[in-house]
Amino acid sequence: MKLPLEDFKHEIFSLREEETDSRYGKAPKDRSIKERINYGFILLDKPAGIRSKTAAYIAKNLMATLGANKMGYSGTLED
Amino acid sequence: MPLAINNATKVLPVLLFGGKEYIALMHLHSEVDEQLLRDTFNKFIGKIMQLPPVRSHVKRQYRQREIYYSEILEIDGKNVLFKVGVESGTYIRKLIHDMGEELKVGAHMTELRRTKVSTLSEKDNLVTLQDLEDAVYFYEKENDDRLLNKCLGSIESAIDFLPKVFISDTAVDPICHGSPLAVPGIVKLTNFEKDEVIGIMTLKGELIALGKSVLSTEEIKTVKKGVAIKTDSVIMGIGTYPEYRKIN
Repeated sequence: MKLPLEDFKHEIFSLREEETDSRYGKAPKDRSIKERINYGFILLDKPAGIRSKTAAYIAKNLMATLGANKMGYSGTLED
Repeated sequence: MPLAINNATKVLPVLLFGGKEYIALMHLHSEVDEQLLRDTFNKFIGKIMQLPPVRSHVKRQYRQREIYYSEILEIDGKNVLFKVGVESGTYIRKLIHDMGEELKVGAHMTELRRTKVSTLSEKDNLVTLQDLEDAVYFYEKENDDRLLNKCLGSIESAIDFLPKVFISDTAVDPICHGSPLAVPGIVKLTNFEKDEVIGIMTLKGELIALGKSVLSTEEIKTVKKGVAIKTDSVIMGIGTYPEYRKIN
């Protein structure tokens, strides 16, 4: 059973051919740890019995030395 | 539970688009006929009206929510384990209560676990707080980044479901400053209509910003200039791509 957007693949159309300069930016898979943290995303298996907010706070503190200074989470369990 | 770090926090609002899936345990206040129970579950598929609970963060008025699917996994006396896919903003505790009322015996929720958020699901790389602590330890003390790499997903993987435009290197920096995207900057794109949330990407597949389409894909294909996407929230840092200078 699937949610409306699950496994939804968008077809990509090209308007023209164009190269990208390898000196700037980086494909997501080539990012360094620091960059991966800055644009990072974690699917946390939250332990039962603690609030989402607490779990996000713990995760942030764990990764603070690696440069994580903002940690956001999506939704509470109830909504 | 999806966690987003630093710049990635800006994509969190769009994650609520795709709906959610839960596994919940319903406790009936007295046993009911199985067929009646199954019929009642089926009655609560599709569009339902729901009054948010007393203790909630939204205005307490009836609102319509869609239940995409629901399936009973196990019935054990008064306990019913089921899986349900719902629109964002559906209260499961309330859904169970309302089904209990419909069955005329009453029911409440005893356990709840979210198994999917929009396109992310439990099958993807789930990380516990312990995993995370170990990963940070190995990285810092042993200089081993393998575990950490496994824990960290990319922001791009979280927005798979969004329609996108892929733009020229020269068009990237202005977007990082919040400028709207003009038609000539677009190299590739997916299908979308006006007023949709669009991921503005580089040709390398990095997410630059989220924006709202001013033109549809069909219109973009036919016009030569004008604003195509209005930039809303910028994720990429300024200076990642070179500053655009007008050559005259």
